Amino acid sequence: MVKKTQHIVRTKSGEWAVKKGGSSKATKVHKTQKEAIAHGREIAKSQRAEFYVHGRDGKIREKDSYGNDPCPPKDKK
Amino acid sequence: MDIPDNFEKNVFVNCPFDDDYRQLLIAIIFTVKYFGYNPRLSLERADSGESRIDKILNLIIESKFGIHDLSRIIASEADEHYRMNMPFELGIDYGCQKLRGEIWSSKKLLILEKERYRFQKALSDLSGSDIKNHEDDPLKVIFAVRDWFVTEELNRGDSGGKVWDNYNDFQAYLYDEVVEKDGHESSDVVPIPEVIHHMDSWFGKKI
Repeated sequence: MVKKTQHIVRTKSGEWAVKKGGSSKATKVHKTQKEAIAHGREIAKSQRAEFYVHGRDGKIREKDSYGNDPCPPKDKK
Repeated sequence: MDIPDNFEKNVFVNCPFDDDYRQLLIAIIFTVKYFGYNPRLSLERADSGESRIDKILNLIIESKFGIHDLSRIIASEADEHYRMNMPFELGIDYGCQKLRGEIWSSKKLLILEKERYRFQKALSDLSGSDIKNHEDDPLKVIFAVRDWFVTEELNRGDSGGKVWDNYNDFQAYLYDEVVEKDGHESSDVVPIPEVIHHMDSWFGKKI
């Protein structure tokens, strides 16, 4: 299964985009990284996704997982 | 003279390998691979018995393209030495293009600098050459390398913004592989050849 990811990525104009992994289209662009992180984290939580915050250079500076339940419920049927 | 294997796809990357250039180097290598070319670095032949200069000469002869970054030729501190390797190797590549003849006259060279026109103070022979500045920014170097490939060879290609988005996706993959799976403190401590290995895996999964 392909994992769901959300990313906070710098744009060419210096703003910060909330972006789904694998997509080139931003969900929304914010003036500050802080605003983008708050927005992106909410999306990641609601989608039970992995959440990556990228630095200005693209490198990962923070990651949180909202999708990895270490004890997922087992289907008994 | 025989044409070297993959000459048309090989790109000699003549850039610093030190820590403060690392993210630019990774971004350049990624962009070269993104457009289907083979980055060739002197690091790749570290275990052979050749002298360093012979390794570099062979890489230049085997590569149609050369990316030369001169941004570290100027010392950043009072006691720091000038870095002469990059302009020296650019000179060899330029000489190969102008003097060797045959297919080597088709060589294409991209010269990168940190600031526009700064090189003229140190290397005025390059006046009139097309030099792109990156301001030590991986995003800008990705756009510069992308635009060069498209202008010189491809005529069209994915936008710099699309390459940058993919580069960020790769950085997330690299973090998962080297920090979460392999237990490194940071992706910064992983040697460049290992980063290239993960890059190849990432591109392999994209196809």
